Amino acid sequence: MGRKLFALIFLTFKEGVRDRALVGVGLFSLAMMGGSVMVVNFFMRELHKVSVDINLSAIAFAGLLLTFFVSLNLMSKDMDKHTIYCVLSKPFSRTQYIWGKYLGIMFLIFIAFCILTLCSTATIFFIKSQYEVYFKEFSWLEFYKAIYAQFLMFFILNAFIVFYSTITTSSFITLLFSISTYIAGQTIEEVVLFLQSSQAMEMVMSKTIGSIIGIVQYVLPNLSVFDLKVRSAHALPISFEYLSAITFYCLIYSSVLLISSSLIFNRRELK
Amino acid sequence: MIDISIKNISKIYVSDFKCKKKTAVQNLSLEIEPGEIFGIIGRNGAGKSTTLKMIMGFITPDSGQIFISGKIPADPDSRCKIGYLPENPYFYDNLTARELLTFSCQASGLDQKTSNQRIELLLKQVGLFAEQNQKLRTYSKGMTQRAGICFALVHDPDIVILDEPMSGLDPMGRKMVIDLILDLKKRGKTVLFCSHILNDVERICDRVAIMDQANLKGIYTKEQILENHGMEELFLKIVQQNELQAK
Repeated sequence: MGRKLFALIFLTFKEGVRDRALVGVGLFSLAMMGGSVMVVNFFMRELHKVSVDINLSAIAFAGLLLTFFVSLNLMSKDMDKHTIYCVLSKPFSRTQYIWGKYLGIMFLIFIAFCILTLCSTATIFFIKSQYEVYFKEFSWLEFYKAIYAQFLMFFILNAFIVFYSTITTSSFITLLFSISTYIAGQTIEEVVLFLQSSQAMEMVMSKTIGSIIGIVQYVLPNLSVFDLKVRSAHALPISFEYLSAITFYCLIYSSVLLISSSLIFNRRELK
Repeated sequence: MIDISIKNISKIYVSDFKCKKKTAVQNLSLEIEPGEIFGIIGRNGAGKSTTLKMIMGFITPDSGQIFISGKIPADPDSRCKIGYLPENPYFYDNLTARELLTFSCQASGLDQKTSNQRIELLLKQVGLFAEQNQKLRTYSKGMTQRAGICFALVHDPDIVILDEPMSGLDPMGRKMVIDLILDLKKRGKTVLFCSHILNDVERICDRVAIMDQANLKGIYTKEQILENHGMEELFLKIVQQNELQAK
């Protein structure tokens, strides 16, 4: 059972790691990080904030490109081109298929994050050695905590890709749903906070929309809790309690999505 | 024990938006004995591939039952000893044939030594040994079909299900597939396959089922086929009779 699942995880990883899109994503993020060495020269102060912000943004952007192009391709192509037959003709249950594919994708994202973290560490290290005076408040620990939080967000986002792939028949619809979920997940907290603010209280809003937003805020993931770029750039301490809470939130949310995906996929007809 | 037992299965496809219904398979029953080569022939849309997909558990029948060595298709263990080649197989582009076959062996629980032996043997048999480390996206249709045949056979299954195995193959490739199927029979394996190439079906099958418009029209032994002046004659007779009845 373990060996079989490992074979599927490794198959997914291998197929993903050789995707040509990965080269583009890698080059783009490395260029962004390398560019940050030049860009910080244009700023006269707070260079550490600029370099941390650019590097964390590059990692997040690379993660998003990986998710929306490589991960989505790994899931949807199986359905579109029927490569799924070659996996399911072996003694895999559909639940094992879902988990094997997801873990393979997450392994790919993990390796990508490790490489990007190494590159951004080198970039910041170089900038720090050039402008030591601006990096007095900088903390490597907070920087890595922010990268960890970003990585957690991709657990949820990729679980959504798997979930949407099981309910749709088109990769385009999966892409559309996933991007919408990402945007909504990033902004839902701001929308809710705005509606609770005194400015919004003066607005006339239909009760239906209010209650829809009320439901949506609990159904959609709050992805903004994983965005710790600003805190890290300002070297504000991120508590381990907070990290534990978002880890727990991520694991629960992803597990619920994957269990739902398995239940739906077990009933799906693979024509 | 009977290797594959199909009892009164039916399947109706419902289109997503218009809710239009189309009967793919109607009340089909058949039994395939161990060590038998069983062919299913029929026109396009007769229900051949749907039947094979139901046996593999990709599609669930609306009614009826399927047993593979006593197990239902929903049970992953039912596929432990099955090798399957889909119609127009498509594999992972970025993998090599060797990697694909290694996955097939690992998923089927073969140890590494046996896997390597089986992979080499089959790659040589289908003529892909020299191209084993090329990515599958560089393969032609015929080469992909050969890789698919290896994928289905590499774990030495007891039951082999092939959907249009000759599709996309040149005459040499067709001969190779026929030799492989006959070799499987010699080794006591059960083979179930669909094909449009009636000469090949007549040559290698012990029994042939003819399907038309979602229904089984009959199961014929080699002798019965010969009595009816060959497979082509028999098939055309049955299809024409069916068309006349429909009118």
